[in-house]
Amino acid sequence: MEFIQKKTIDQAVEYFLPKAAESEISLVWDRYEGQLPECGFCETGLSCRDCLQGPCISHPFRDSNKMGVCGKDKDVLASQSLLRLALKGTMTCLDRISEFAEEVESKQIRPRNKAKTDQVLKEIQGLFKDGGSLMMKEFPKPLIQGWKENGILPEGVARDLFKSSQTLEGGIAGVEEILLRAFKSALLGGTSQWLYGKLKRSVFGDQDPTKIEVNLGVLKNKTPNLLICGPLSPILKKKILDVAEKMGVQVTGACTSPLIPPFHFPILTGYGSQEIPLMTGAVDLVVAGNQSVNPSLFRVAKEFEVSLISADGLSRRKDIGKFAREVVEQAIKSFDFRRHIPRDIPEIREVAMMGFSPEDPDIKKIVEALNKGQLKGIVVLSGSNNVKYTQDQETLLMTQELLRNDILCVSQGEASRALAKYGLLNPIGTKKNCGENLSKVLSSLKKEIPPVLDFGEEGALNLLLEMMRVGKKGLQSYPIVACFPEANRSSEVTQALWMVAMGIPTFFWPALPITGSQKTMDTLSKLCQEKFGSKLNIPMEKKMEALTKADLIIKTLKGEEGFSISGKPWK
Amino acid sequence: MVDKTKCTGCHQCELWCATEISSVSKELYQAIHENPQPVPRVYVEGKDFALQCRHCEGAPCIEACPNGTMRRDPETGLVFVNEPTCIACWMCVMACPFGIINPSPSMRVAVKCDRCRNMGYPICAEVCPTQALRLEERKDYRTKAF
Repeated sequence: MEFIQKKTIDQAVEYFLPKAAESEISLVWDRYEGQLPECGFCETGLSCRDCLQGPCISHPFRDSNKMGVCGKDKDVLASQSLLRLALKGTMTCLDRISEFAEEVESKQIRPRNKAKTDQVLKEIQGLFKDGGSLMMKEFPKPLIQGWKENGILPEGVARDLFKSSQTLEGGIAGVEEILLRAFKSALLGGTSQWLYGKLKRSVFGDQDPTKIEVNLGVLKNKTPNLLICGPLSPILKKKILDVAEKMGVQVTGACTSPLIPPFHFPILTGYGSQEIPLMTGAVDLVVAGNQSVNPSLFRVAKEFEVSLISADGLSRRKDIGKFAREVVEQAIKSFDFRRHIPRDIPEIREVAMMGFSPEDPDIKKIVEALNKGQLKGIVVLSGSNNVKYTQDQETLLMTQELLRNDILCVSQGEASRALAKYGLLNPIGTKKNCGENLSKVLSSLKKEIPPVLDFGEEGALNLLLEMMRVGKKGLQSYPIVACFPEANRSSEVTQALWMVAMGIPTFFWPALPITGSQKTMDTLSKLCQEKFGSKLNIPMEKKMEALTKADLIIKTLKGEEGFSISGKPWK
Repeated sequence: MVDKTKCTGCHQCELWCATEISSVSKELYQAIHENPQPVPRVYVEGKDFALQCRHCEGAPCIEACPNGTMRRDPETGLVFVNEPTCIACWMCVMACPFGIINPSPSMRVAVKCDRCRNMGYPICAEVCPTQALRLEERKDYRTKAF
């Protein structure tokens, strides 16, 4: 099947598309086209592969196979599809934090603030054991109370993850319980992400907003270039940066946080186009993790003779410092071997200011501006690229429209890196992109401030908690919306569920695999409304203009029921 | 053409046939919730045999039909149901040697594959992931087993 759509709006990536076609390198868009039409049962959550009697489907158009072999009907299948994603996403967050904590515990690094680090480590242990009853005290009381009443307060890995995953094995849990379990595991994931940020700050010190460079233009012609792909452990990143600086190797990143105080490094590209940097011929070595790294990287690396080193391999490297040194030395060797390969670096680069924290800028001023009506609302943008949409287009167009309407945009993770490529994190663009009121508020916060505030990998949660503390009221009473314009990874599903459980209406594109069952969708929206006072909006129209999407968000911020599926409100 | 060795019984043909031919919205997400429920015209028989109308040369359904509802398109030779005149006598259902024609569960008409005669290319062949369903002209089908 053919799939006709503009691939990307990133000029640097677009430059390489014809080249890839000429040399028959398959990119994410080619592979997507090969997959079409994707399985309709899986897309709508009506399939199950959990046992060997299957795989089973619930056929929407035939009465003979409405139920799986074990008797799971479409409602259970659809809600379990969501639970499966939430569990996987939670494990992503837990994997990151457990690796980081283990490395800190094994004294691979001397923490900036020893006492605080020890305390955070204890909290992390508590999180795994009993859901972190100690640390939960730092959360606002009404929030904790609500979660407790609904039985979704995290109770540790065993109760949250193991028990929830057993729901997939069988049992008589109804739709509501399965959905609540998805929320419970998502809360564990969200909490661990928050703790990750806390640990990072106590080990490396506080982060000041820092200017970094983005896009392929930052690659250097006459220096070895090392690419960090995927969210690796911050300690490994710091050690690599340390050695690389001494040995004159340039470190760049993709799909990873570029800020490790006191270091920072440029970002080359986003998730959707992670093979493209290798096509410049200027990347000499890639250190790749498992998360957010496409296995296709391996093939392109072979084509361009790039060394590929796995940081998450089975054979664990105990001494990180030694491994970092080996990696950097290998990069220099690789640079020497690869002199015959032509380097083709497009001169496209942008400056981005990243790494804001709730202390800087002042949250009180933001809350005040919200109360006065200067700001129409806050939108938290997250999520990486999804091949179903033109790369970065949805995120960019929606953000621009929101900024024009005096809505403060806060971004995190991959969404920040996507916006950074188009100058939305560049302080120069504030006046040009923002509405009058918004630019006044922003300039009162700080002298040099970009239109979109990036709160790093873990920061937006901090911001929201701080807002609850400062305003002394729940997030439901603020005009805040979370938005995932091009979501892709399971960790983003976890993030979305966590946002909803905090009481923030959330928009999620593309549709989650629960659309096969009306009952599941109804239960989910009822549950979000009654238990958390928020909504998880999953617009089901496949083709919707970015501006229409932005309009839905603006209407929700104003308190109007704007979202719809084919014009009808999603109850 | 149905290649039994390639069919994996994934039911994609049924899913997209019902969405494309029988639903109002033509979008899977919405079609699932439509009432009356869309009906597929192709059936996966047993574990791995997707079967749709063979458009027989001497079609028993046309012969069985008492009022000319079952017709053959003179241009393409495809057999189709002219739904407005169907009296739901189910003679065609009984006569079909392949069991392809079925009474509609919601309306009193016979439903049957017309090989997407208004679309140019049949949707089941378009979506089949293993190409077990293909549209091709075979002149030698009487002499060669396949």
